[in-house]
Amino acid sequence: MKTGLPVIFAVVLGLGGSTVGFVLAPAVQLGSVKQTTVLNSTDLYPPQRIGDATLGLQVYRANGCAACHTQQVRQEGVACDVGLTGPGKNPQALSNLLSTLTLTHLTKEAADTVADQLTAAGGKVETHIVPAGADLDRGWGVRHSVAEDYLYDYPVQLGNLRAGPDLANIGVRSPDANWHLLHLYAPTSAVSNSKMPSFKYLFHLQKAGSTPSPEALNVPSSFAAPAGYEVVPSPEARQLVAYLLSLRANQPVYDAPFTPPAKP
Amino acid sequence: MSDEIKSSLPTPPADPQPGAVQSNLPIWIVVLTLILVFIGGLYFDQHGGWFKAQVYGPYASADQLELYQPKSGAAAALAHGKVVYEQVCGLCHGVDGLGKPGQAPPLAGSEWVTSAGFNRLAHIPLVGVNGGIKVQGKDWNMAMAAMGAALPDADLASVLTYIRSSWGNKASEVTGDDIHRIRGTLGTHPAPMSGDQMSAMPE
Amino acid sequence: MTANETIHPTATATEIDASCKLPLLALLVGASVWLVIGSVMAMIAAIKFHAPDFLGACPLLTYGRVAAAANDALVYGFCLPASLAVIIWVFARLSQTVYALPLVPVVAAHIWHLGVFVGIVSILLGNSTGFAWLEFPRGGSILILVAFVLIAIPTAATFGFRRDRTLYPSHWFLLAALLWFPWSYASANIFLVAMPVRGVAQGVIDIWFGNNLLFVWFSLVGLGVAFYFLPKLTGRPLYSYFYAQYVFWTLVLFGTWCGIPAGSPFPAWIPALSNLAGWLLIVPVLGVLVMTVKTLGGAPVTTSSAETLPYFKVGLVAFIVSGIALHLVAHNEQLARITEFTWFGQAQVQLQIFGFLGMILFGALYYILPRALGFDFLFPKFTRAHFWFNLLGSVGLVIPLAIAGYAQGSHAYNLDAALPALRFSSMGLLLILVGNLFFAVNLLAMFLSWKITLVKSIFSAVTSPLTAVEVKS
Repeated sequence: MKTGLPVIFAVVLGLGGSTVGFVLAPAVQLGSVKQTTVLNSTDLYPPQRIGDATLGLQVYRANGCAACHTQQVRQEGVACDVGLTGPGKNPQALSNLLSTLTLTHLTKEAADTVADQLTAAGGKVETHIVPAGADLDRGWGVRHSVAEDYLYDYPVQLGNLRAGPDLANIGVRSPDANWHLLHLYAPTSAVSNSKMPSFKYLFHLQKAGSTPSPEALNVPSSFAAPAGYEVVPSPEARQLVAYLLSLRANQPVYDAPFTPPAKP
Repeated sequence: MSDEIKSSLPTPPADPQPGAVQSNLPIWIVVLTLILVFIGGLYFDQHGGWFKAQVYGPYASADQLELYQPKSGAAAALAHGKVVYEQVCGLCHGVDGLGKPGQAPPLAGSEWVTSAGFNRLAHIPLVGVNGGIKVQGKDWNMAMAAMGAALPDADLASVLTYIRSSWGNKASEVTGDDIHRIRGTLGTHPAPMSGDQMSAMPE
Repeated sequence: MTANETIHPTATATEIDASCKLPLLALLVGASVWLVIGSVMAMIAAIKFHAPDFLGACPLLTYGRVAAAANDALVYGFCLPASLAVIIWVFARLSQTVYALPLVPVVAAHIWHLGVFVGIVSILLGNSTGFAWLEFPRGGSILILVAFVLIAIPTAATFGFRRDRTLYPSHWFLLAALLWFPWSYASANIFLVAMPVRGVAQGVIDIWFGNNLLFVWFSLVGLGVAFYFLPKLTGRPLYSYFYAQYVFWTLVLFGTWCGIPAGSPFPAWIPALSNLAGWLLIVPVLGVLVMTVKTLGGAPVTTSSAETLPYFKVGLVAFIVSGIALHLVAHNEQLARITEFTWFGQAQVQLQIFGFLGMILFGALYYILPRALGFDFLFPKFTRAHFWFNLLGSVGLVIPLAIAGYAQGSHAYNLDAALPALRFSSMGLLLILVGNLFFAVNLLAMFLSWKITLVKSIFSAVTSPLTAVEVKS
C-alpha cells in the first residue's frame, strides 16, 4: 500500500455502511412512526404530552436522571392462557375435559388446539396473550417497549443503568403526585432503603402562616422543615412530577400485543 | 536549558523506524471469519424479523407477531363496530347516535334498533329505505341508500352489535353468520323498500 | 529532488521532535488538567454511592450531572486531545519530515479546550443535550468539531509529505481515526441536535455513536499507537503486516455495528444485526492476541528505551479483555440479560478509558515528551509510580465494577447487592486519581520549566549588553 486511498475506502465502507444502517435507516423507519390505535379499542396511543409534563422532561434531562433510571422494558417471551367465559350447555362434560387440559403458559398453536376442544364441548373461550419476562414480573411494565412509547420525547431518555427502578410506566405504578414530591424531597421518607440523592434544591422553605399554605408539602415529622417553616415545591419539581406521571407505557399495541385484564 | 537538566536520552538518530514482518495471511483466521459470518447469517434470519418496523423481540417474524395478536370476541367486535360506525354511519346518525334533524333519525333508544330480533334492522342497511317511517312517535320522511350492502358480513354485524349496545341501548349481539343468512335471502341487487314495506317486516 | 522534497526535506529525529513541541504542549497541558478534573468529578460521583447526600445541596454537583461531566472530561478533555498529540508526533516521525503548519494545531488546541470547558460547564448548569457521550450542547460540540478538523488537516498533510511512500500499519489505523471522529460526531449531532429525528431513533443513533467513539475510535488510536511503539521498544519487527491489515479491516467493518443490546426498544433487526457484528468482533481480537504474543514473544531484545513497554503490554491485554467482553455479551443471551443496565457496562467503559487507551497514551507520552521538549521529566520516580497506580487502579476499578454489575443484574437490580463491590471500586478510582496527579504534576512541571527557560532566554536576550549581541552575531 503506497497511498492513503485504501484507508479512505475502508472508512467509507465501514463507517459509511454503519451510518446508513444505524443512523439513516432508523431515522427513516422509526422517524416515521405515528400514533397508533390501542388494540381492540379506538383510543389513540400514545396520548400527546401536554403542559407541565413536556417541561418536566427537560427537568429530567437537565438533572441527568437517565444516569440511574432506564425507560425501557424488556420482554423475554410470550405465552397464551385459555380462559373459559361461558359454561355452555353441558357443564359436566366440559369440566371432565378441563381436568385433562393445561390452560396456561401455552404456545399459540397449543392454545388454539385447547380452545377448539373446549368450543367443541360447548364452552365459550377466550385466548389471552400474556407477555413474560423478568422486568414484567417485577411490575416494571406489562409489555416490551416499542417506538410509539417515545413518540413525543425529545430527548429520548432510554438510559443504560438501573441504579434505581425503570420508569417506563412509573405513572401507572405510582400515580400519586404527592408521593413523588415527597420522594424527591426526602427519598428515604418514601422508600426506606433508597440510595437516591435528595433533590432538595427543587424545593424551597417559606415562613408558614397560621394555616398551612395549600401548595406546601406534607412532610413526615422526622424530615420536616424547621419550626415555623414549610416546604414548597418549585415549578420545576411540579413539572418533573407531571412528566413522571405521564410515563404510562401500558397499552397493548400491534407491535406489543397482549390481552389487557378485564375491566371490572 | 540543557545545562540545567542533564539529558539521559540516547542520541535521536539512533531511533529506528518501526518495521513489520511480511508473513503470509494465515488461512485459519479467514476461515473462522467465514464460518462466523455464516452462523451469524442464520442467527439474523431467525431473529432479525427481516427489517420489519413492527417486529420487536421476543417476536422473530411478522407472521409470529400476527399470530399473537389478541382476538377477544365481544370487546373486539364492539371496538371494531365503533370504528366502522363512525366512518360509515356517524356522519348522518351522529357519533352520539342521536341522529340529525332533516338528515337521519336517532338510533339511541329507537325501537327499530333495540327490537328483540334484528331481521328488520339488518334489512335497512342491506337494501335501503325510501319514504317515511315513524321513530319514537316522530315521522321521518327521507331516503337512506343501502349503506351496508358493500360491507363484509363481520363488519356489518359489528356495527349492528355496536348500535344495539351503545348509548343506553341494550339488545342482543348480531353475528357475521346472521348477516350472511339474511343477505342470502335477498337477491343480487335488491330494490330499496318503502317505509311502509319496512315497517311491515317481521322483527 | 522534487519540489515536495525541497519544502519538506527529510529531517532528523531531533528536528521532527522539535517541530511537534508546541502542538504537543498546547494539547497536553489542557488534557492533563482535564484528566485531573475528570478523575476528581468521577470520585465525587462515586462517593455519592457511599453517602447519597454528599454535596447534595448543590444542583451543579447532583449525581446525574457530575457523572456525565466526569465521563466527558475524561474522554473529550483527556483521551481525545492526548490521542491527537500522539498522532501528530507519530505521523511526523513516520513521515520523516517536520510537522507541517505546527501553529494551526496550537490554535486548534485552545479552541478544543475552550469547547470542552463550555461543554462541561453547560452540563453542570443543566444544559446538557441529554444524549450519552454527546452531552455537549451546540456551543461546545461545534468548537471541538472545528478544532478536531483543524488538527486533522495539517496532520494529514504531514502524512502526505512522508519520505517513505509505503504505508506502515499504524498509518491506516491513525488515518482512519482522523476521519472517523469528525464523521461520526457530526452525523450524530446533526441527527440528534441540529435537526433531531423523531422518537426512539434517537436512542439507536446515540448508542451507535457511543460504541463508535469508545470502542472503534479508541481501538483505532490505541492499536495504531501500540503497533508503532511495539517494534520500537522491543527491537523486533511487528508480527505481521497481514495480521495488522486483517485486524484493521475486520475492526472497521464489524466493530462499527456493535453495542446495541438485544431487548432494546428497537425493531428486532437492529439488535440482531448488532449482535451478529459482536460475534464477528472475536476475529480482530484474536488477531491482536496473535500479534501481541508473536511480537513480544521470543528472546528479549534490550533496547535503550524499553521502560515504557509495560504500558503497551497492559494496554493490549485490556483491549483483548474488552473485546472478549463485548463478544460474550453479544453472543450469550443469558449473560447479556444479566449484565445489561448494570455497572458491567460502566466497567467496560472504564476499561476502555483507563485500562486500554489511557495506558497506551501514557506509555507513548512518557516516551515522546522528553524527546519533544529536549529534557527529561523532573520527577522520574513519578513516571514509574504512575504505571503501578494506573495498573492497580484500573484492575481495582474495573473488576469490582464488573462484579457489582453481575450482582446487581442477578438480584433484580437491587442496589444493595451491588454496593459492597461498588464501594470497593472507589478504591481503584482513588489509585487512578493519584496516578493521574503524578502525570499531571510531571507534565505541568515540565511545561513550567520550559516556559521559565523560554522567558529567561528572551529576558537575557533583551537585557544583555548590545556589544555582546554584536559579538555573538
